[in-house]
This record gives sequence, C-alpha cells and structure tokens, in this order.
Amino acid sequence: MAVHSDSASSGKKSSNGPNELLTFNAENMQNNMKIIYYSRTFLSIIGGVVAGILGFTGLKGFVFYLLLMGLTSLGLVAKAGFSTHTYFDSWNRVLLDGFLGGLMSFVLFWTFAYDIVHIF
Amino acid sequence: MHVGIRAMAEDLVLDTAIRDWVLIPLSVVMVLIGVLRYFVSMLLCSSQTPDAKIVKEGQVILRARNLRTGANFVPSKSFRLRKIYFCNEENGLLFVPKGQVQNPQAQMFSDPNMAMDMMKKNLSMIIPQTLTFAWVNFFFSGFVAAKIPFPLTQRFRSMLQNGIDLSTVDVSYVSSRSWYFLNLFGLRGLFSLILGEENAVDDTQRMMQMGGFGFDPSKGLSAEKDNIDITQHDWALPYCEQRAEAVLRKVIS
Repeated sequence: MAVHSDSASSGKKSSNGPNELLTFNAENMQNNMKIIYYSRTFLSIIGGVVAGILGFTGLKGFVFYLLLMGLTSLGLVAKAGFSTHTYFDSWNRVLLDGFLGGLMSFVLFWTFAYDIVHIF
Repeated sequence: MHVGIRAMAEDLVLDTAIRDWVLIPLSVVMVLIGVLRYFVSMLLCSSQTPDAKIVKEGQVILRARNLRTGANFVPSKSFRLRKIYFCNEENGLLFVPKGQVQNPQAQMFSDPNMAMDMMKKNLSMIIPQTLTFAWVNFFFSGFVAAKIPFPLTQRFRSMLQNGIDLSTVDVSYVSSRSWYFLNLFGLRGLFSLILGEENAVDDTQRMMQMGGFGFDPSKGLSAEKDNIDITQHDWALPYCEQRAEAVLRKVIS
C-alpha cells in the first residue's frame, strides 16, 4: 500500500531524562497525525469494498469495521516500534483518532459493493 | 425500471439498469463536482494584500505564544524580562488601552474584500450541493435505488424511502435521495486522499468554521496577556550540565 511504504512516522519528541519532561515538535506531531488519518481512511475504503463483496450484513459488517480499525492501530503501533510515546503524545491518538471519519466512508463503500455484487 | 418480487423471500431483485444509470453516475458526478469545486476555489481565491497592522498584531501574538510554550527552557531572569516587555502596563506590547480595541466584526463587514471572499466561499459550497440535490430529486425519485446492508428501525422509513409509497418494503431498501446523502458524507475521506491534505474540506466542517467567527486580533491581545500573566516559570533544565556530561560520555565511549 503506497500510503504505508512512503510514510515513516517521522520525528521524535525529545524526552529529558530524570525529569520526564516531554517536549513536542508540533510540526512532526501534525505529520504523524496526518499519516494516521490517511491510513485509516484508505483502509476503511478498502475494507468497505471487501465487506460488501463478502456479503456481510448488519452486525457482522460493523464488527468487521472494528476489527479493521484494530488492525490499523496495531499496524501503526508496530511501525512506531512499539514506543508510541516518542511519536505521539497519548495512547488515544493512535487508537481512536479518525475512527468515526472512516466509518462513513466504510459504510458508503460497503453499501456500494454489496449492492453491486449481491442485489443487482 | 421494474422491481421484481420473488415469491418467498423478502429480497427484491432490482434491475441492472438501476445500477448502471443511477448509482454509478451519481457517485461519479459527486466526485467530479468535488474536484471541480476544488479547482474553482483555487482559481477564485483573490490575493488580498493584508493589512500591515493586523499582520503585526498577529506576529506579536505568535511571539507571545512561543514565549509561553518555551517558558520553562529559559532562565528565570530572562523569562521575567520578557514577561515585563510584553505585559507592562504602560508600553508593553500586548497592552491595548480600552478605547482602541477595535471591533473586528464591524471591520470585517465593512471591508469589501473580505466580505466578497466570504460570500464566494459560501456560494461555492452551497450551489453545487443544491443543484445536485435538485437534480437527484427530479430525475431519480420514485423507485428503490439501493439496499443498505444493515437493518434499521421503522422510524427511518420516512427519511430514507421518501419516494417509495409501498409501506411493506423493508426499510433497508432506500431511495436515491438517501444514496445522495450517503455519498455526501462518505466521499469526504476519498476527497482527502485524492486532493491531498485536507483540501477537501467538506460542508459540515466549513459550516462549523463559519459559525465560530472568533477573529484573533480583537480579543487575542488581551487573552495572550492574561495567559502570560498566569504562566509560572518552572525551570526545566536544572541538571543540564550533568545531563550533557552523561550524554557526551555515552557518545565518546
């Protein structure tokens, strides 16, 4: 996937040793956020098409979406080398950001693919 | 376009022509309109020579904000020095005498350029939406367009099936109007991928931006002044020499 390969989570924030003081480089943070957003959106679209083709209906589709988002989070954490605190300021960002935004795209492409394959 | 009903199951079999001539064209049209809107907004954005005073104020605010974020990294005396420079009662940069606080909104509306810009943005947003909606309603009403894969309650029936007058049809079968709305919300993500970097600001976000108009210049200065006033200085690098020594040792060895 093009989005993953050319987007290394960039830019660490520096952490000062004994005082545990974290400083943020705002620009890099923004870049990382953007990358999360892109990954999520791209995967929701692909996931929507897959769910439609496979014929998921109702609850199964939403469970699939949740699984997909979980996979995305896992992938992002793995890419960040399992030390998310150097790249993001809180766990919530990695796990939950862009969740709802992807949902609408997922539903749209899910409906589309499902209709094209199964109803028509 | 016919809707054939199989005897036993509740599934409707819909005509392929619906798929070819309704779903796909509608989506394609919406994507194209979004792209068109993006290009038109690029062409129409008039270069506006900014007012020198406003730019100066903006930069002062930025400087004050930087001071606030970096306050813990400068020695205490320097911080106090800078604080006084900004917040001094007589000639501090951020101090605005009461009489001179300008009302930005009045200024904004009286400035013709800005008003034109706002109007253009509003129009470029509303017109394609309205036109497309009218087109959908005119051409594509009165039949079942799609089936959404998850079940909904009966309450949504009036919203989703407004052209279809049979009340026994499952709520999952929706009219093309709801397909239009689904596209409207769902294509946001696609636009942000295609048009790159949040350029595809959709209507809901734009409307929220329009709603909250707090323009920086007016309250900005006094807000920043208050913020700096309450910032405590907490020296963050007390052992910096020791830490530098440790790092250097690690590097050398």
